[in-house]
Amino acid sequence: MGKQYEIPLGAQHISLLEPLHFKFTTENEKIVDTTANIFYVHRGIEQACCSKFKFRQVSFVVGRVCGLCSISHSTAYSQVAEKLVKIEIPRRAKYLRMLVIELDRIHSHLLCLSHVAENSGFEALFMKTMQYREFSMELLEAVCGNRIQYDFSIVGGVARDLKPAVGQMILERLKKFKPQLDELVDIYENNWTLSLKNKGAGAITKEDAMRLNVVGPFARAAGLAIDVRNETEDLLPWKEVGFEMVLDTAGDVHARNMVRLHELYVSMRIIENIIARLPESALITETKAFPDGEAVVRIEAPRGELFYYAKGNKTQVLERLKIKAPTFSNVSAMVEAFKGNEYGSVPAIIASYDPCLSCTSR
Amino acid sequence: MKLSSFRKKSPWILHYNAGGCNGCDIEILACLAPKYDIERFGMINTGNPKQSDILLVTGPVTKRSRERLVEIYAQMPEPKVVVSCGVCACTGGVFRGMYNCEGGIDQYIPVDVYVCGCGTRPEQIIDGVIQALAILEKKTKELEQSVRLKKEPVKEDTQLNRRNIAGEIIKTA
Repeated sequence: MGKQYEIPLGAQHISLLEPLHFKFTTENEKIVDTTANIFYVHRGIEQACCSKFKFRQVSFVVGRVCGLCSISHSTAYSQVAEKLVKIEIPRRAKYLRMLVIELDRIHSHLLCLSHVAENSGFEALFMKTMQYREFSMELLEAVCGNRIQYDFSIVGGVARDLKPAVGQMILERLKKFKPQLDELVDIYENNWTLSLKNKGAGAITKEDAMRLNVVGPFARAAGLAIDVRNETEDLLPWKEVGFEMVLDTAGDVHARNMVRLHELYVSMRIIENIIARLPESALITETKAFPDGEAVVRIEAPRGELFYYAKGNKTQVLERLKIKAPTFSNVSAMVEAFKGNEYGSVPAIIASYDPCLSCTSR
Repeated sequence: MKLSSFRKKSPWILHYNAGGCNGCDIEILACLAPKYDIERFGMINTGNPKQSDILLVTGPVTKRSRERLVEIYAQMPEPKVVVSCGVCACTGGVFRGMYNCEGGIDQYIPVDVYVCGCGTRPEQIIDGVIQALAILEKKTKELEQSVRLKKEPVKEDTQLNRRNIAGEIIKTA
């Protein structure tokens, strides 16, 4: 056994978007042990949602839990609040929510892919992916009025309607994006330099993934068929608009890239179907009821399963709100998948997990 | 060419997330990307506080990240400019009054430019950074001004006469 060294990474590091601290124990460049320290950005949102804000305001507050999957959070909260006040939202509102969730997934996955490319040392591919990503931000701005922090889902429905001209614009831009995505798939799959950093790095087996409760593209890249869109039908009709599961088997960084890229095709198909079959109805169901009882909602955020629990007591303010973010489920597997890798490939592996710590620590 | 002209033409950026929601961080990343292309001003995102001139901070300061924030600020060499991105970095925003948050970064480090909005648009970030460049230039000038010594020059008769001392040493030996 060689001499062991401890290498800290974070809380501020060029390869990290957010404060996150890892301590690696290495032996001749090989990582033998890792500890993660993730709660740098704990703000106390759950407590504030149960004391400071009324239940109709909370959907805007939980959107600020995370800037990348803001719409998933506000949709999940709106759904759980609708269960508590016992209303059914209009069909058009459900379709519009799915539309924005899928647009958000496109921008989130492309951001993650570009970040993997940058951390693998492929700066040109980072620039290319970010350039292609801009169309999704522009579409989100056209649909919701803001590039990030959409405030689109509110309790009872959605805040804005989709104008037919904007729908046409989305279809046109998606048509333009398709060849660009083909080009990206070609680069990420076949580039030899990138494969040196990505193939075989940060691999996790299907058994480990199942044992450690992995969710999202991380699990699907290891061959574990977990997707909330496949499991729930009552709140958002995913299968109606053509959802399909994307799976890979290798479980390494390259497989995660591939899963994310192929999910973009699925997202694009879902968006096209939504715009083609958008039903005509009101946007919002009005109610004067106060939340009562308990409810649970699961939704597929870009990073995996997002879980909301809420409890009301017939007042304006909720009694309890619990958020369990996808990255929280993945942390134990993140630590596990570092083992046996070279220290040099750590940044690429971290980026490929797509960690969202502001979700995790609320 | 002097160092100051390099600093003016290529200020390096350090980005730190002090507990924000990632929204402004991805907009900073979008600024580096080809559409907004902040690199045309010579700006590069560095990870090293010791090489950077402009500190971009996002997020309300959480109690765990404030020590890191102050430490990063202290490690940056003078002259330095701080730009707070997003309304939560400026005032605390929606997180103001939550039990683990401080309201804004200006309670801990001096802020030069406030960029508001939730989330900040890339155009606003670029505008804020350009304003920061003007402040950086001003600070550089202040730092490089020659300072006249105010102390009175020492008079002749108070100085020690070395020859006398040497003579004494020889005598005692």
